[in-house]
Amino acid sequence: MMNHEQYRRAVLANPFSTDPELEAHRTHCEDCRAFTDRVLTFEHRLVRALKVTTPNSAKILPFGTRSAARSASGGRWLALAASVAMAFVVAAGIWLTPRSSLAADVVAHMAEEPAAWNSQAPLSAGELAPVLKRANITLDPKAPSVSYANSCEFRGHVVPHLVVQSPRGPVTVLVLTHESASKARQFDEQGYRGTILPIPQHGSIAVLMREPGATAAEIDAVAAQVRSAIVWGSSAP
Amino acid sequence: MMNRVGAKQGRIRFQALCLALRPDLLRFAFWLCHDHALAEDVVQESMLRAWKAQDSLEDEKAVKPWFLTIVRRELARTFERKRLNTVNIDDLVALEDSSLAAGDQADLAEMRAAIFKLPEEYREPLVMQALLGHSTAEIASELHLSQSAVLTRLFRARHQLRALCGEDTNEDPQE
Repeated sequence: MMNHEQYRRAVLANPFSTDPELEAHRTHCEDCRAFTDRVLTFEHRLVRALKVTTPNSAKILPFGTRSAARSASGGRWLALAASVAMAFVVAAGIWLTPRSSLAADVVAHMAEEPAAWNSQAPLSAGELAPVLKRANITLDPKAPSVSYANSCEFRGHVVPHLVVQSPRGPVTVLVLTHESASKARQFDEQGYRGTILPIPQHGSIAVLMREPGATAAEIDAVAAQVRSAIVWGSSAP
Repeated sequence: MMNRVGAKQGRIRFQALCLALRPDLLRFAFWLCHDHALAEDVVQESMLRAWKAQDSLEDEKAVKPWFLTIVRRELARTFERKRLNTVNIDDLVALEDSSLAAGDQADLAEMRAAIFKLPEEYREPLVMQALLGHSTAEIASELHLSQSAVLTRLFRARHQLRALCGEDTNEDPQE
């Protein structure tokens, strides 16, 4: 029969083990059951921490060279061409349409911070300043009030995530100094409507809201207001 | 003709596999090298090597450990080629490096900093198990260790991690 120490050692080595001996011990030992619950809670935190955000469109897949080295016949050339074309089609799906994937990533980020829209109360300067300072930006005093500010990990960079209060309700703003955009692009995904706005020399900003009736013109107006309220530092990243 | 169609389908399937595995491979590389950009380079190079060596993959079910082996070798090659900058974790935490600070989720940031503080011999099997879902046998095979040695490392990893995160470890078995 397994003792407490052996059981706990085994649980710490593999919290999700389904070893019958472990299960038998757990069934009869309340203390070890409680210990297991604590370890599992910790384990969920661990897994969440390990799942750092990864860029989902960083580089194209580097395929095609294997066939090139081997191709000797026309048929193989065709296979190579198909392979390379397919690789580029796959890559293009990820890489050549950055605007849509960027919008999808922005919307996906919303789900990670559901509490961001809970409060409408303006943040104090002390709460807001560290987030802005980290991105080397400031906000014009005439800017809409900011009810949420956080430095968020997004596509491998830390970006300001703000919620500003507009007449049409809360508006989320992500300042994406590392994401360039060639032109403004509106999106409507998963109940969020917004726009990615290019900021020459400073990447772009994503502005989005969850108002189903919000029109494109209203979103543009809010985005323009936000854009004009951001003061970029001289050495902004 | 059938062969060509089969080969093409095989390549498409292989590409889909790469795309599916890429995020976890990037994370694995990141936890070993502390550097997002380097992790991307390593995984990119690994995918190229995997593409060239795809005929050596005999069992598609074993694709994840197979890829992991390639990534580990590529990481080792990278470490051999150049002496990577060492990172003082305390400095990193103090600077709130983007690698560690995950938004406002302070507990995750604390956990990430603690993970980096683990010795690599404990961190690597922990990431393989908790993130990639590898079995003890798979980890043992990859790291050329006995299964009991792997279990010992995993126990120590979690025990140390819990202590680093301020968890009550009085009820943990002693090392």
